[in-house]
Amino acid sequence: MQNSDRSIHVNSITKAFSDFVVLKGVSLDVGSGTIFGFLGPNGAGKSTLIKILTTILAPTTGTATIAGLDLATRSSEVRQRIGVALQDVGLDPVMRARELLELQGRLYRLSAQDARQRSEELLAKVGLLDVDPKKTAGNFSGGMKRRLDLALALVHRPEILFLDEPTTGLDPVSRVQIWEEVRRLNREEGMTIFLTTQYLEEADKLADQVAIIHEGTIVASGTPTALKATMGSEVVTIAFEDSTTAASATALLQALVDSAKTVGHETICYVSNATARLPDMLRVLDKSKIAVKNVMLSQPSLDDVFLKATGARLAVDAKSATETVTTQQ
Amino acid sequence: MMDIILLTSRTLKYYLRNPVETIPGIAISVFFLLVYNAGLSDVSKLPGFTGSYLAFILPVSIISAAINGAGLAGQSLVRDIQTGYYTKLLLSPAKRLAIIWGAMLAGAIVLIIEAILILGLALAMGLTSKTGLAGYGVIILLTFIWGMAFSGFSVFVALKTRSANATQASTFVFFPLIFLSATFVPKAFITSHWLKVAATYNPTTYAFDAMRSVLMVGWQTKPLLLGFGILLAFATVTGVLSLVQANRSTRLG
Repeated sequence: MQNSDRSIHVNSITKAFSDFVVLKGVSLDVGSGTIFGFLGPNGAGKSTLIKILTTILAPTTGTATIAGLDLATRSSEVRQRIGVALQDVGLDPVMRARELLELQGRLYRLSAQDARQRSEELLAKVGLLDVDPKKTAGNFSGGMKRRLDLALALVHRPEILFLDEPTTGLDPVSRVQIWEEVRRLNREEGMTIFLTTQYLEEADKLADQVAIIHEGTIVASGTPTALKATMGSEVVTIAFEDSTTAASATALLQALVDSAKTVGHETICYVSNATARLPDMLRVLDKSKIAVKNVMLSQPSLDDVFLKATGARLAVDAKSATETVTTQQ
Repeated sequence: MMDIILLTSRTLKYYLRNPVETIPGIAISVFFLLVYNAGLSDVSKLPGFTGSYLAFILPVSIISAAINGAGLAGQSLVRDIQTGYYTKLLLSPAKRLAIIWGAMLAGAIVLIIEAILILGLALAMGLTSKTGLAGYGVIILLTFIWGMAFSGFSVFVALKTRSANATQASTFVFFPLIFLSATFVPKAFITSHWLKVAATYNPTTYAFDAMRSVLMVGWQTKPLLLGFGILLAFATVTGVLSLVQANRSTRLG
């Protein structure tokens, strides 16, 4: 098992729903035993790609191999090797957690006894062992449903795990639990994990490799560190009263920095050696009587990578969750 | 095979927890049996009618229960599609056939239980059978096949439309199937030409004929052969249709 091919190779996949093109030729490679973060805003095509890679949707054109198996011709073998937790959890609301897990185990050809044992193991793993055994899945909280759905995806010890926005809509504590479990599965069981997320920090913290998708096209990919390094500079964010002021400030600062952009009422400047150049920048603004509301100096994040590639912000705030995680590490 | 048992018992467990869903079927059937028997039993005094009207109307009551049992199969699939559990089943190694049959068989089992209850009620009302206990067995078996045939249809509609409303609406074929037949009087008594033609092409007619023959006449080859043959053919057609639809929907969208 340890030596088996757990990679994912995607080659120019497109997907169109009648006239609407969701994926415009996506190619990517995920190495065996790595965590891959597929990052993008809502509607960028993340879920569509995951549905294609997990055999429930056929691509319009393009090919992919999962664990060395061609997706188009060997989909039933692919299904045996992968675990899938989609964004919409697939739980029968009138069944209990153990019933769902045991049935799933039996469908994957475990004996009744093994299925029972595996259910207990998994319930413990995802922290649902103490839940009232008579409680049906429909009465679970959002976080509990996600954890149960994750447990269901793990019943047959898959080699590759697909998680579609595993933490969207979860409270910070549940989010951290999922992150910990994802890391553990990758580290201890050598599972390749393909996860989609709209949270930059999630991709940054969890993933070995990241690809950023925007309107059906991959606009940047690499390790989080390498992606941020391509920025080559620090980020100075200056806030103004309104967007017109910000626009004129951007025009003024353009000559002083590597690059500058207006986003809303802020000017975002990428500057190498920012601390030394910041006073000059502020002096220029002062001279033109432009009032500065707030200045922030930061290291580039994946959001900056996204911004640079697309001109838009990935406006999702996962901060509360990441703070909790950072304190735990 | 194991998958079919697993998925059938899963759906049955659902009915045990939500018995309300099975009540309309049995209620309609009991209503039919009581009301038609009370209102129309003098038909049996007409010249050319032999046997009891109770035995004549019982198949109508049982077959209408079959509609409800069969509609349940489509409903349970729509429910699975809506909760996303259907996708989970598609991702599992379970065969498409097992996923559909799980829903169909569970519906058919509910239906058999209903049929037995209705038979019990009819027996209490004085039903007799010319072929004894085996005759009741034949009735249950025919009900089962008819139920599977109709389940196949409701599953096909469920998979095709993915809509609870459409699936519910599809059970309205119930009316032509039940009433465009020798429902209340023997076919010989029907004077309208078009109704006679409709009854000839309605598979339900042959279910009624076969059931009535074992209750009212005795062992006869022709109605039984026709009954089983036509119902099996009907079940095969709808079964294949629903399986084709399931395979098509394996790749959603």
